Amino acid sequence: MSTIAETAPRNQARRRMRIDGWRWGGRIFLAFMLLYTALPMIWMLLTSIKSGFAAMQFPPQWWPDQPNLSSYQKLLDPQNSVGQDFLRFFWNSLVVSTATTILSVIVAVPAAYAFSRFTFPGRNFLFFAVLLRNMFPAVIFLVPLFILMRALGLVNTHGSLVLTYLTFGLPLAIWLLKGFYDNIPVQLEQAARIDGATRFQAFILIVMPLSTPGIIATAIYSFIGAWNEYIYAYTFLSKNEQLTLPVGIQRFFSENTTDFPGLMAASFMMSVPVVVLFLVLQRYFVRALTEGAVKH
Amino acid sequence: MTIVTGKAEARRRLRSARSGVLRKVWKHRADYAYVLPAIAVMLIVIAYPIYYTIELSFFNTPPGLQLRDKTFVGIDNYTAILTSQVFWRVTLNTMIWTVASTFISFVLGFAAALALHRDFIGRGILRAILIIPWVISAVAASYIWKWIYHSDFGVIGAVLVGLGLADRPPNFIDSVSTVLPSLIVVNIWREFPFAMIMMMAGLQTIPDQLLRAAKVDGANAWQRFWHVTFPHLRNVSTVTILLLAVANFNSFIIPWIMTGGGPSNASHIWITHIYELAFGRQRWGVASAYSVLLFLILMTLGYFYVRALSGNERKDGSA
Repeated sequence: MSTIAETAPRNQARRRMRIDGWRWGGRIFLAFMLLYTALPMIWMLLTSIKSGFAAMQFPPQWWPDQPNLSSYQKLLDPQNSVGQDFLRFFWNSLVVSTATTILSVIVAVPAAYAFSRFTFPGRNFLFFAVLLRNMFPAVIFLVPLFILMRALGLVNTHGSLVLTYLTFGLPLAIWLLKGFYDNIPVQLEQAARIDGATRFQAFILIVMPLSTPGIIATAIYSFIGAWNEYIYAYTFLSKNEQLTLPVGIQRFFSENTTDFPGLMAASFMMSVPVVVLFLVLQRYFVRALTEGAVKH
Repeated sequence: MTIVTGKAEARRRLRSARSGVLRKVWKHRADYAYVLPAIAVMLIVIAYPIYYTIELSFFNTPPGLQLRDKTFVGIDNYTAILTSQVFWRVTLNTMIWTVASTFISFVLGFAAALALHRDFIGRGILRAILIIPWVISAVAASYIWKWIYHSDFGVIGAVLVGLGLADRPPNFIDSVSTVLPSLIVVNIWREFPFAMIMMMAGLQTIPDQLLRAAKVDGANAWQRFWHVTFPHLRNVSTVTILLLAVANFNSFIIPWIMTGGGPSNASHIWITHIYELAFGRQRWGVASAYSVLLFLILMTLGYFYVRALSGNERKDGSA
């Protein structure tokens, strides 16, 4: 009796110690990952508030002596030629990404629904064909697509980008949404149809609201993909006033190679919209993955 | 007699089966309307380019000339590629790049997901910060790291000198031996959050009861992970690893912006090399032949990819 009373707390202590070992390992690991992730971004911000002269010093100023926002002012000033270009690139990116996002939701939702609900011949083949799109790198499609876009009269238009971006956003969008629809009981729709709704009404009134997280996740994914795309924009667009942000920034700074504060400020500004969008809506994204694609 | 009727019977059955497919297609004609937009876009942007690339791979396209001045050269482009030294160098780079990036991103992402699975103060903020690199543009990431690696004013070099670990700032991306690992670090920085999100989603699907039951039965943390958590995540892990592998195999922006493949091809991977052949040296035929080889490799990978992605569904179908 006494032995049990003695060993029990000792065992408990040992178990707590072992769990603590794992917990501390996890904490140290997370701290390391935090540094790895955050330090480059912090250094970007610190550089962006230095002057061009202060940035080019060795050893570097760990904290800027005279922090100032002149790089940002230059980029955002519509009177300045740099600012004009930057704001125009920003606007172009916004237009292209928004159009891509809206179109991919419109195209992906019915496709994913059909792949989930209907059993038509060739369904699996088509589904895999769609998924296979993501296997192929952009470079393979560049030349033929460029020729195709020329035939369609879309070279140097944002339409060429929207059409191309659609295709690489679609596979994951369809796959994500299909997982979502798979998990919505058919009985809900059947009940609605017994109550007199058409298939379309049942889809709009029952299925769509339930799949909102999936649709939001799809939209974020398309938007971020389009916002950050570089190769097609680099190849399809040649007119300066049509460039999107990644290409515009690259082109600008291949001429001004030493303006690192400006480059860091531009990188920061380019990241703000997608980061904010993602942080605001990220729970939908994780939820869509959990309830849709990853669930088994 | 019996044989004849048997044959006729078989033929009739075949015919009815064929018309059965057609009838089925007809019966489901409305269903196709839902997938038609997706398929149409895909066909335009995929099927045609694939056909065109295969055709072009058998032609020689002299630089500076119009594409229609191409001449047929048979499989010369392929033999030229396979016998060139650059090809093997680039292939080795691609393998190192893909395997290292995929494996390390996955392990870091998985570990971060496990560490973040337990509730603690500031978990949401920490998770959000860790995801940011995945969201920002690869172009921005390339410039940030290019600046960090800068051979004169780079912050890493300055830290190393400050700590007395180096006499002068090392040349991270201008030296043949360090350029590829340096770029892989950047790539992992951008990719591990994806693995983390996927594994976080996977972890949430594990029923709590299972882990609690294992704990009651006396399993320690490692045993619970190895016998309960990990088997549950096999499917998600496969999908994540394959998606990462495909993305890494196809990556372009980071090596292209940071080094352009240099110095002396040390950071060229397949995609940047193809791009340079096509748009830099205008050797479209060779570049297309490269692309076709790439297709073949990707189709092999794609077989596993599709099997992994459809794995969930097949299980549902049998259940």
